[in-house]
Amino acid sequence: MAERTEENSHQVIMIGAGPAALSAAIYTTREDIDTLLLEKAIPGGLAAVTDQVDNYPGFPDGVAGLELANNLQQQAERFGAAIEPTEVTALHDEGEWKRIETITGDYYAKVVLIATGSAYKKLGVAGEEEYYARGVHYCATCDGAFYRDKRIAVVGGGNSAVQEAMFLTRFSSHLDLIVRSKLRASEILQKELQKFVDEGKITVHLGVTTDEIVGQEGKVTMVKGTDTETGNEVTIDTDGVFVFIGLSPNNQFAGDQFQTDEVGLIKSDANLMTNVPGIFVAGDIRSGATMQIASAVGEGATAALKIREYLEGHPIDVQAEV
Amino acid sequence: MVKNITIFTTKTCAYCPMVKKFLSAKGLSYDEVNLDDEPHRQQEALALSGALTVPVTVVTKQDDTQEVVVGYNLAKLAPAIA
Repeated sequence: MAERTEENSHQVIMIGAGPAALSAAIYTTREDIDTLLLEKAIPGGLAAVTDQVDNYPGFPDGVAGLELANNLQQQAERFGAAIEPTEVTALHDEGEWKRIETITGDYYAKVVLIATGSAYKKLGVAGEEEYYARGVHYCATCDGAFYRDKRIAVVGGGNSAVQEAMFLTRFSSHLDLIVRSKLRASEILQKELQKFVDEGKITVHLGVTTDEIVGQEGKVTMVKGTDTETGNEVTIDTDGVFVFIGLSPNNQFAGDQFQTDEVGLIKSDANLMTNVPGIFVAGDIRSGATMQIASAVGEGATAALKIREYLEGHPIDVQAEV
Repeated sequence: MVKNITIFTTKTCAYCPMVKKFLSAKGLSYDEVNLDDEPHRQQEALALSGALTVPVTVVTKQDDTQEVVVGYNLAKLAPAIA
């Protein structure tokens, strides 16, 4: 354990550097609050690896996820936010100072904002682990290029699945979209999807579960599923499977000190503070979050203002229910 | 000691610039193989990493041993270049 020093101590440390934390950092640094963000992956989070974002206000033609992430990062850095590439392994409430353990050493902060977001959920079916990164993928912009002129299957029916499926058609010879129940993507995305269906680039399989990912000689060859209406087995030949079936919270570092909901999202009060005084939470990791970039940005701004009140010693509504 | 570093990337990969930025911040130079421009080298990347993904960072040491880091994985990348 490293002792607290001036160098490793900050007024505010944000765990994560996605839209929620970057927005919060814009606000705290503009208030001259010393702010450090600890990011294990990429500033911008899942937004940065999303091909196109069409529902973030202010961009009438949409914006590339990476461009939006870069803009948020540059805006936060312009006011003095520092982003340290490291992975947080544990968080300790030691009273006035919180100690944050990382793979590169300990940091201390008076206030911590947890904004670690979520990762794409796994299917939990046979073959998924076996073919991980060798036929089963969770990032279209990262891995799509390996499937030029090959068949791709995308699992999921929400916005991410449809958006990434359409992106992947720039590589695939044909794409199968496997949807367990019905499409939940926005109407406008469904209309766009229909164009790809009409052009013969995508086949949508509604009401089909994904039960197994099958391969031969180290390569994925097929998805096995079940038609939920008839109960019949469905087989879809493919060279690779991309999974976008929802999100799973990045809470591995948090231990059991926080009140969470049934899926592991961290609960907050109306001030976005957790049950641990001085530790706030915002964005996709917060219980009740709507998993949208726009709302994460709003929560980040709110958290920053509440953090400022907390640091100034102004009484925030500590009676608000957790 | 690091002898040379090669990174396999694509144009759409968001994590690839992160690896390059991380290495540059450490004062390390690298060769880049963009698989969009050189798709014939995909098999090479696959053989080295065992994975159909980028970034793949190949760190060759002075004794010609190699460490291969798949993805933007700081827990593996930092010790590989130490």
